[in-house]
Amino acid sequence: MLQKIHRFDKRQCMVLILPVLALIVVAIGCDNQHYDERMQMRVQKLDSDLMNRWSTSGVVVTEITPNGPAAKAQLETGELISYVIAEYPIKTAGDFNDAMKKGLEEDNNLVLYLQDKPPLRIALRRQGDNVGFSVEGSGTVRVKAVVPGTPAANSNIQVGDIVEKIVDERKIYSLDDYKKTLAKLSKHQITFRTTELIGVKIAAVSALGDLGDVRAIEPLIDIFENSTELSLRKASISSLQRLVELSVLNDLFQQFQRANVNQLPADSLQPQHLEAAAILELLTVDRAENTATLAAPFGTQFRQRSEALYEKINEGQLAELVQEYIQITVEPEQEIRRACLTILGVLKPVSAIEALVAVLDNPAEIPGIRFQAGLTLSQIGEPAVDALIAAFESGDTGTKDIAASALGGIGGTKARDRLILALENTTEPAIQLTLVDAIAKIGDTPSMQALERQRAQYQADDDSGIRIFLDEVFKNLEHKSM
Amino acid sequence: MKRVSIAFTLVLFVLGCGTQNENLAKGKELIKSDKRRKEERAVREFKLALDQKTDNAEAHYLLGLYNSQEFYEPNTMDWEAASVTERGKHMFLAYQAEERKYLERLVFETLRDDDLDIQNAALDALERVYNQGDRKQLLSQLQKAIKSSDNRDRHNAHWVLGHLGKDDPNTIVPILVKLLEHRRTETRLNAVKALGEAGSEAAIPALATLIESGAARSKRDREEPEVRQLAVEALGKIGGNAVPELVKIVENKGSSLRVDAIRTLAVLGDAKVVEPLLDALQEQSNRDVVVPLN
Repeated sequence: MLQKIHRFDKRQCMVLILPVLALIVVAIGCDNQHYDERMQMRVQKLDSDLMNRWSTSGVVVTEITPNGPAAKAQLETGELISYVIAEYPIKTAGDFNDAMKKGLEEDNNLVLYLQDKPPLRIALRRQGDNVGFSVEGSGTVRVKAVVPGTPAANSNIQVGDIVEKIVDERKIYSLDDYKKTLAKLSKHQITFRTTELIGVKIAAVSALGDLGDVRAIEPLIDIFENSTELSLRKASISSLQRLVELSVLNDLFQQFQRANVNQLPADSLQPQHLEAAAILELLTVDRAENTATLAAPFGTQFRQRSEALYEKINEGQLAELVQEYIQITVEPEQEIRRACLTILGVLKPVSAIEALVAVLDNPAEIPGIRFQAGLTLSQIGEPAVDALIAAFESGDTGTKDIAASALGGIGGTKARDRLILALENTTEPAIQLTLVDAIAKIGDTPSMQALERQRAQYQADDDSGIRIFLDEVFKNLEHKSM
Repeated sequence: MKRVSIAFTLVLFVLGCGTQNENLAKGKELIKSDKRRKEERAVREFKLALDQKTDNAEAHYLLGLYNSQEFYEPNTMDWEAASVTERGKHMFLAYQAEERKYLERLVFETLRDDDLDIQNAALDALERVYNQGDRKQLLSQLQKAIKSSDNRDRHNAHWVLGHLGKDDPNTIVPILVKLLEHRRTETRLNAVKALGEAGSEAAIPALATLIESGAARSKRDREEPEVRQLAVEALGKIGGNAVPELVKIVENKGSSLRVDAIRTLAVLGDAKVVEPLLDALQEQSNRDVVVPLN
């Protein structure tokens, strides 16, 4: 009997409990979203680990009702609201005290605006904390007294200062926080401060560099030129660099594309391109099997994209742009100048020669970058010879050194003859060594004869650095020819 | 006469057992010793033991464990017989002779070996068990292992399940999906990884749900960030129809996994990704938006 009653009770309970449970579940399910009637928009809770991973909190706007206040303020869906800011105009001493009290409701940031003075941040931690000054007046509110020894006294607040307004910045930690804050500030004009997750943009920029799609070029250039975030600019120039490096492999990828295959005999492809593509991990080369196989998924997909990318990059706009940014006066960030130089080295635009020589010849520039400019000029090759010779003739020791190296890298009769002439007429030891090195790099018969003449000249001089260096050079050459 | 012949047979039997055990015992003794090239010599003994009794479980197992290609000249018969597959076959034969004992041993012991060849041989053996042996037993042992408190067991089980799932997603994926509800975070984590390795699109909805749970209100309903991160990686491994799911993460500005999703998509190289990435670049930067009082 007892048992029966028991069972009956249980069932009755269930009848009551189940709908309640169901309601709770529904309520919880919907509770990560909230429709804000005042703003006429829907906001959503953030993933709870965003705070830990990206130090970001707030709510995200998921929907905006047309013509509502949010829409009129041009808030956009997807924006992440991390602060709600209210302004309290101060017309009377009472306004001031009310604003202070309101600010103390939460552990918040109040910003005090005094006329003709920079804004001051007031940090109040608890109820009862003293601001350190008092105010008086109606219509115009002025500072009446400042309590000595308080932070207020140490800041720039002076008796007689006019208090204009107090701005209350409230950080939003959660959806509940948002709801509460908006309810409390229902009578005030509100400003939303939105946060950008810089990490997301950086990741997107890098990904666009990896994808090798032509559509990325203009947006990347736009960020590079206009963003105020250095990290983002750095990411965008290195993505552009990657796209440029990809674009020069177009010939190679077109061979695959035309044959509509992902594998070709390795010896049917240009060895230099093949090597470059292998370094970029776009394909794998098997010498024993004589195969070059595009790496999936990227290599195989890029086959279809490479031509458009190549054409876009060779329109010339990019080469022109980066020429500007190799100058230290335009771009203070050396990492970016370096990336721009690398891009020029790949694109080899003759139009960049003048700008490159200017970098090479700039004593204010760091030596590594001056040297890279020289290297870039030697990548451009023959057309840069005249400019390099001119730089060599007029420049300081540093310039001479770099220009000589670059000329050695380019080679050719003109460069060679000028280098030999210079070697025969210079007595500056540092330059001599560079010249010997550059001439040895060219290594044709007239070059070697010139070096032999130098060796004969310094034969007697035991301590001469140039003689030791020449011996070394010849030893290496013999070693190579063996 | 009859008695004599019985006795003779007995003597022969005992002798037979004796010599067989002798080789096995000798081999095992060698392994324990610190003699030079002990493993190579032990393997010879195990082979002799098998010559005498082809279904000697222990000899099969030990041969699978120790027979290494390093002992032989490449491309010889002995060398071929020491391949991972052949070693796996031996381990499987050990299992066939003594199912319970060797199944447990393979899952909880052999897979833990530091030698990659041995791990692969064990995997090969377990794949054979899956296809030719007691599949139910195997799956129950693997589930026990992935729920284990020992990280090595969980890791090994995920590895095997991932491989099995590649060949037979219809059976394995539902098992792994169910494991996503397990109370132990590390078990769920390994189940997620296995789903990625299985690479079946059937796992996409379960992974998507898990990823979205980051914004759930109650902590109980939220999956741990590291598991969710791995779920994004798993979607990347699945590819194909998982791409739109990854794009959805990129587009969800409240998601903590946008960066992970972007990186995953970049590796996949799918052109469909370009648009959402460009959209992400267009997002409004930090700014103040004033909403006037009505």
